Order: sequence, then structure tokens, then C-alpha cells
Amino acid sequence: MTLLEPGTLLFVAVFALLLSGAFAPLEALGWWAGWFGDLADEEPPPAQGEPATIIPALERDVGRYVVFLSGIDSVSDEPVPQRQVRFLERLREEVSDAVVLQVFPYSVTNRALTGERIFARFWRWALRQKLGTRSHEQIAGMLINLRNTWQVLVSADRRYGPFYDRGTAALMVRQLRRAGYQDASGLPIVLIGYSGGGQIAVGAAPFVREALDAPVSVLSLGGVLASDPGLLAVRHLVHVIGARDRVHKAGAIMFPGRWPIFPYSPWNLARRHGKIRRLVLSPCNHTGDDGYLDETKLVEDGRSYFEVTVDVLAALVRDSTGPAPVASLTPVAA
Amino acid sequence: MLVTALDLIPPALALRPEAFQALLARPGFGLQGALVIVFLAGISTSFGQSVVLFANHVSPRRFVASLLVQAALFVLTFLAWSATVWGTAFLLMGRPAPFAAAAAAIGLAYAPQLFNFLVLTPYLGNGVGAALSVWTLLATLQAVGVTFDLARAETLLVAVAGWLAAQALQRTIGRPVARVGRWVRHAVAGTTLDPHEPPGLGPR
Repeated sequence: MTLLEPGTLLFVAVFALLLSGAFAPLEALGWWAGWFGDLADEEPPPAQGEPATIIPALERDVGRYVVFLSGIDSVSDEPVPQRQVRFLERLREEVSDAVVLQVFPYSVTNRALTGERIFARFWRWALRQKLGTRSHEQIAGMLINLRNTWQVLVSADRRYGPFYDRGTAALMVRQLRRAGYQDASGLPIVLIGYSGGGQIAVGAAPFVREALDAPVSVLSLGGVLASDPGLLAVRHLVHVIGARDRVHKAGAIMFPGRWPIFPYSPWNLARRHGKIRRLVLSPCNHTGDDGYLDETKLVEDGRSYFEVTVDVLAALVRDSTGPAPVASLTPVAA
Repeated sequence: MLVTALDLIPPALALRPEAFQALLARPGFGLQGALVIVFLAGISTSFGQSVVLFANHVSPRRFVASLLVQAALFVLTFLAWSATVWGTAFLLMGRPAPFAAAAAAIGLAYAPQLFNFLVLTPYLGNGVGAALSVWTLLATLQAVGVTFDLARAETLLVAVAGWLAAQALQRTIGRPVARVGRWVRHAVAGTTLDPHEPPGLGPR
């Protein structure tokens, strides 16, 4: 048996894939066990009347808080793709009474892959490859996507989800309190999860709600969603998808709880309770040149895909207190 | 002897009878190496099931100790299973073979369990665990067939009868033994290792 036999190569490839997955839950589990310092790295909520650490919220009228969870191609809470940077800028402009925050959702210890980690140098290399233009460089960069995909599956796995989701929720709670969110203030919190960030948003939502005594809703932008019990705790989930986006379908195929044959799964229960709405943005793909954030491709009325996505998400964020946030929106023709 | 057993892991994984024949041809039937395989498989299995240790906030030192103790208990369970199969083959088929030979061959058949840590893999882990159990069963059938020189149907009969005997033993004399094992695991972990639902984040 030589290494180059097809059977051996397949075995090695499957083994390497599973090996990378087997170590994926350890960060969340180790965090929960207290191996990396204090639990949750949380701060207590500010006392009544005490100003928050960062107070943009006190400088203007704030009507809602938005937490953006990036897609699986991110390495830190700083969105590297310029499209995402511009998307968040535009969202801030469009919803002027919203405080828009970002959390890196693929690490419960909130450490950037390129930051203080044993493999930080490797991830910096992978990021450089990912940003390259040659195909072999981009394949190397896919390792970042693979690593973060496993974290999405950690959130979706009922063995690990309760730990992982509490971890990411703790990060969001900390950010929200720093940005001035007052517990039990009743101000709506909207979690926007792009791609794999959608699942993590749904998983964390009930814990954010519990910690802050706040109404929490989720907007999934092409989210790959499992049948997570968190769906039953959110005010609503709007699943915004592009007609050409096949990636989000992975969730419907991979996670049996989303299959119609399990009527009492959290997903199907939430659908029957009217908590899940689907909104199709006609022409968009998941990512890339005809993706949700593409600024060059146009729809019939002359807006770019990017602008359509911003408009729709901004409208949904503004509507986040309403019972049926999709009612005022219609799909866009290509 | 150890190297011989480890060398035989790939053909054993491929379910080749020659692997078990080669092991039994060694002095002492390569039992020592087979026991090392079982012990390592025990560590791998314990690691694959270590969520409960993390959930109960077990420290890194106690975590390692727990893996080692659980691996030792895994070896004891393996020896009991080997003894059951060995006794069943003798009683049912009248095929005498040294116990060390049976234990060595069945120990080598535990090779797929070296990958049991992959049960940790999110979402796919339980399926991987089931596949590894079936793989181990098939390897064990090979090991029993070679050790006792049995035809396929006879091997199946011994395996089924051995499994039934093991179930009966577990529910009788195995219970107090299991209680002791549980006590040891909890003592090493320093906690009762209850299934643990973490508390909410709640406003404090």
C-alpha cells in the first residue's frame, strides 16, 4: 500500500477533514471549563444611572441596536472584505437611530485567528493567500472558510451548541453594554448573520435575550441555518436569500430538523408559529461578483445588488419592532 | 513485539485475516502490543466522550488523569469481553485456544477504535462513532475466526452468543464492578460528572 493509491489518498483526505473537525469544539469547551481564564470574559451591567464604557448611544437618540456577524470568510471582528465594510457604513447611514456593532462569531474567546494564537502565523499566511488573485492561493485561503464552517457546525451540534452559543452571546452582551445598551430598556436588538453567521446568531439569540432582558430578532443574509432551539426564543427570523444563492440551501439539506418530515423540530415549530419569514432578493448569489454585496450588477430599477441588500436589510432593521416585518417588502426583479 | 503489533494495524484495519495470523505467529501472540493498542483506543474513546469533563469544569490536570483512568477501565472491559468470547468459543464449539491468543487477536481488532476521538467532530461525530463500531465488529469477527479456526457461520454464532453472555454478565456481576468504575472516574475527575446544562447568562 503506497501513499499514492487512490484509496489511501481518499482515506487520508477524509481523516484530515475529520481531524480538523474533531478539534473544532475544543476552544468552546475549554472556554466553558475555564481553561482560558475567567468564564465568559464578561463585564457586569452598568448600575442604574451609571454611564456605559463607550457612550455613542448617549450622544444621540438610539432606537435599536444591531450586531453584525460576518460570514465564514472572516478572521477577526474587523471585516476584511471592503464590501462588508461599505455595507456596514451604509447600514449606519440608512438606519440613523441604530447602533451597529460587529462581533467575530467564530471564536468564543474573541480572539482573531490572526491574533494571539499558536497558529496565528499560519492564519495570517492563509489570509494573505485568500486575498491573492491566483487560484492556488485562493484554495489555500479556503482553509479559513473550512475552519469557520466547523465552528458553525459546533454551534449547530446539540452537544456543543449550549456552550458555544453562550460564549458568542457573552461577546455580544459585552459589546452591547459597552455601546450603552441598558438592560431591560426594551430597545430592540437585531442580530444580522451573514452566511454561517446566521446560525450563530440564531443560537446566541436566546442567551442575549436572557442576559439583557431584551427583545431580540434575527436577520439572516443567506444564512446557513440549523433547526436550532433558539428559533423559538427570537421575536422573528427573516431569512433573506438570493434566488441564485445555493449555499443557504446547505442548511435545509444538511440538518434533518429542517426536513418537513419532523414536524416538531424547532425549525418547523417556529415556522408554524409564524416566527420565520423568507424574503427572496431575486437575482443575488451568495457571494462574489453577483453576490448580495456586489456593487456592479444592477436590477431593473437601476440599483445595484449591494443597494438592494442595504435597502432591504435597513427596512427590516427599522421594522424590527413590528409583528410582520416582511409585509412592506416585495421581491426585486432582475 | 510492540512494533510488530503496530505494524499490523493497517492490514487489520483493512480486515485482512493475514494480520491476525501474523500476530498469533509471534512469541506470546503479540499480546503486549495488542494491549497497547487497546489502551490507546481507550484514551481515544475517552477523549471522544470528554464533553462531560469539560461541562463539569474539570481542570486540565484532572482531565488528563481522567483520560488515563478511563483508558485503564477500557482495557479491563476489553479483557472481560475477550474472556467471554474465549469461553463461548470453547463451550459452544469445543475449540480450545490460549486466552492470550484470543485477547491479542481481539485487541488488534480494536484498531478502528484508535479513531474514536473523531466522535468529537461536530455534527458528523455520532455517525463516525457508529461506523467505527461496525468496523470494530467486523475486525473482531475476523480475529475470532482466525484465532479459533472457525467458519464464517460459526464465527457469527460465537460472536452473537458472546455478546448475549456479555449482556447477561453486565446486568448481574457487572453491576457492582461498574459502580466501582464509576466511583473511580468521579474521584479522579473530582466531580460527579453529571450531565450538565450550563446556567444562563442572566443579568447579575
